[in-house]
Amino acid sequence: MPAPAAGTPALTRAGTSGTGTQLALADDLLTLLRTTTTEPRPDEQLEALTLAVAADLPVLLWGEPGIGKTAALTQLATSLDLPLTTVIASVHEPSDFSGLPIVGDDPAVQGVPMAPPQWAVELVRAGRGLLFLDELSTATPAVQAALLRVVLERKVGALQLPPGVRIVAAANPRASAADGWELSPPLANRFVHLYWVHDREVVVRGLGGVWPRAELPRLVPERLPEAVAFARRAVCGFLEARPTLIHRLPNTETRRGGAWPSPRSWEAALTLLAFGTAASVSRDVLAQLVRGAVGDGPGLELLAHLDRMDLPDPESLLADPPSAELPVRGDLRQAALEAVVAAVGARPERKRWEAGWAVLVRALETGAPDLLVAPATVLAALRRDDWEVPEAVERLAGVIGLARRADRSVGRAAASAGAGRAAGAGR
Amino acid sequence: MEKLLAARLHAVKVRPYLAAALFALHVVEDRSVPTMAVDPHWRCYVSPGFVARTPVEELAGVWVHEVSHLLRDHHGRGERYAREHEEHRPGERGTAAGWGRLRRNIAADFEINDDIYGDGLPLPSGAVLPSLLRLPAGLLMEEYLRTASMSGLTADLAWLDCGSGADGQIRPWELGPDGAHGLSRQQRDAVRFRVAEGIRGRPGSAPDGWRRWADEAFHPPQPWRQLLGAAVRSAAGAAGVGEDHSFRRPSRRSAGVPGVLLPSLRRTPPRVCVVIDTSGSVSDAELGGALLEVAAIAQAVGGRRDLVSVISCDAAAGVAVPLCRAENIALIGGGGTDLRSGFDRALRSRPRPDVIVALTDGQTPWPSAQPSCRTVVGLFPRPARAVDEEDPDYVPDAPPPWARVVTIG
Repeated sequence: MPAPAAGTPALTRAGTSGTGTQLALADDLLTLLRTTTTEPRPDEQLEALTLAVAADLPVLLWGEPGIGKTAALTQLATSLDLPLTTVIASVHEPSDFSGLPIVGDDPAVQGVPMAPPQWAVELVRAGRGLLFLDELSTATPAVQAALLRVVLERKVGALQLPPGVRIVAAANPRASAADGWELSPPLANRFVHLYWVHDREVVVRGLGGVWPRAELPRLVPERLPEAVAFARRAVCGFLEARPTLIHRLPNTETRRGGAWPSPRSWEAALTLLAFGTAASVSRDVLAQLVRGAVGDGPGLELLAHLDRMDLPDPESLLADPPSAELPVRGDLRQAALEAVVAAVGARPERKRWEAGWAVLVRALETGAPDLLVAPATVLAALRRDDWEVPEAVERLAGVIGLARRADRSVGRAAASAGAGRAAGAGR
Repeated sequence: MEKLLAARLHAVKVRPYLAAALFALHVVEDRSVPTMAVDPHWRCYVSPGFVARTPVEELAGVWVHEVSHLLRDHHGRGERYAREHEEHRPGERGTAAGWGRLRRNIAADFEINDDIYGDGLPLPSGAVLPSLLRLPAGLLMEEYLRTASMSGLTADLAWLDCGSGADGQIRPWELGPDGAHGLSRQQRDAVRFRVAEGIRGRPGSAPDGWRRWADEAFHPPQPWRQLLGAAVRSAAGAAGVGEDHSFRRPSRRSAGVPGVLLPSLRRTPPRVCVVIDTSGSVSDAELGGALLEVAAIAQAVGGRRDLVSVISCDAAAGVAVPLCRAENIALIGGGGTDLRSGFDRALRSRPRPDVIVALTDGQTPWPSAQPSCRTVVGLFPRPARAVDEEDPDYVPDAPPPWARVVTIG
């Protein structure tokens, strides 16, 4: 935010001439308008952006023009204590990024050096900074091509950007882009794509004078080794189960220019998972980041895998059924129970089978009974002839009654379907 | 409670692909709810009285109905619609806001009710169907909202209330985002994704409506006009044609920086050749609409009508007609399809086009090799099982991978 630019001291306040007074008053009014306060407010978008920038992955912000991408970047730079360099790609020429050829005395001997532009030289001199490439979508194709090298190799002309420089780009979505800019799959693969949207409430409150101040995630030193181990376990375990998702080029027109899975973007996802865990961000932030790195489908599947990793281990449930802690959410609870039954089925022994029933009884005591029908049916089918039905099963009688009631209802519905089709259509 | 859960089991039994979503719902008993309602955080509010007086099999239908509101994101879509089309004043509890809410709820119910019932799931009494207003079935909520005034329904339906999960308007009985047992956005997405994957994994068992939902749940189709426009723009704007920098003449800025070579901006408008499939299988309306779009886009790209030419092609290709000369181009054809001759003709025309835009229904052989210019295919959608009577095994080739394919309409 620029400081209120008062012309000369003589002009402000008690002015001498008529116009001077008017300008001074205008300045006062502007100062008043620009005096705003901030309030803390959780902001998932900003958290995700901060983490990706901290993880040194190039970020691409997609968003309609004028929704506060630049303002967010300014806030980020302040809080990370990095000088912000904004380069508006569309007003530059390719040579501003690839270097300007300078003809020396004897080109044949010395070659033609490619001189970097001033902003790059200053970035290198500072050694650190946040490079914001704005308006990527309105630059000409040649400028975009030149920018690739800046993003991927961090080179501007002959100049290598130091590792302390972080890169964020911004683009308008394809639907609102005025020209043909879209990312080629190789380039899209290197970015973490974040979709920037404005929050009605934030805008209204902000114009009223109170802008949000996000609490940025902080890495917790003690959690670093644990975070790396968790991220590796999650991604490797997932890709072992779904090897087809390791590499999948986008194949339809609608998915072009977005994130897609490849070993490189999985590495990015792993990095982001580790950073997210070390900073203890919420699953929602993690979801934005992972989906932005590997795409919606694979990202959601990885997150579902994380959910399953959170499920209690079936063996430990079987070891101590009376104190078993089952998830509260119905679908997860059922998944946990099914895992228990599957574990019994994998190594069917009488002791384990009885423990399985005990887990089901425990589930009956702590939650909805209809979740138990499917696991109980499977577990009952695992019975060997010489195994006696444990007493616990009797406590599940209500579940069986529930299942019968549902069965009868399905039967009634099937029976009345033929008769009711004509009558029911009216209403 | 037991009756309600038996109904949920019934629903799971006849709609196994919805099991994850049904079990993820958290039941809240509340006497102030008229019947059953959901909120965007996947809580299901149930009136005990309603459960007591409704048979189990109908309750099963209500379960599926309520979970459908959530799976199909009716609260998000309803809110978006309200923001775009209606005066939305959340603070006001006047009749206008209530009426808007009811309309959205009814439209959402239409979208759900016309395809989830039957096949083991009886239609609950009191469920509204689009036929009530003599509307066609199978439309989306937004389409019902746009086409129908829905007046005349209000009197007997004012009790109808599926909660904010159906229309995005918060109700007094709801627990809100901070209440217990709500699902976060990520968790909701994960459940919806798992259901969609389940449906796509077993395409045989789910009805068309749900399959369509599964295909589009996480990749909503973009409007084809914008896609076609983006494809033509990016084909025409790629390196070599269009506006780009070149060193052919130095920039005028060069004078100010002696010793530095600066490129200048040159504009080379692309030549666009539109090959139109005029075989009998493509309808006139389809052709007319798409051709207008392409002409408009090509003009926006090149800016000059004389750079756009049109070839009509069925089994044999016609002549390339420049757009500037033909006020009304006669599209000749009507026979079988072989677009290869059209591509040949386009590439042989002089000057050579920079971009070929082919508009076809895809029932054609394609050139075996990539043409020497960029290609955009606008595909009119056809049902998957279009069988040739004379040769039932005939399967038309899919458009080749080197073409940008946009499905139209």
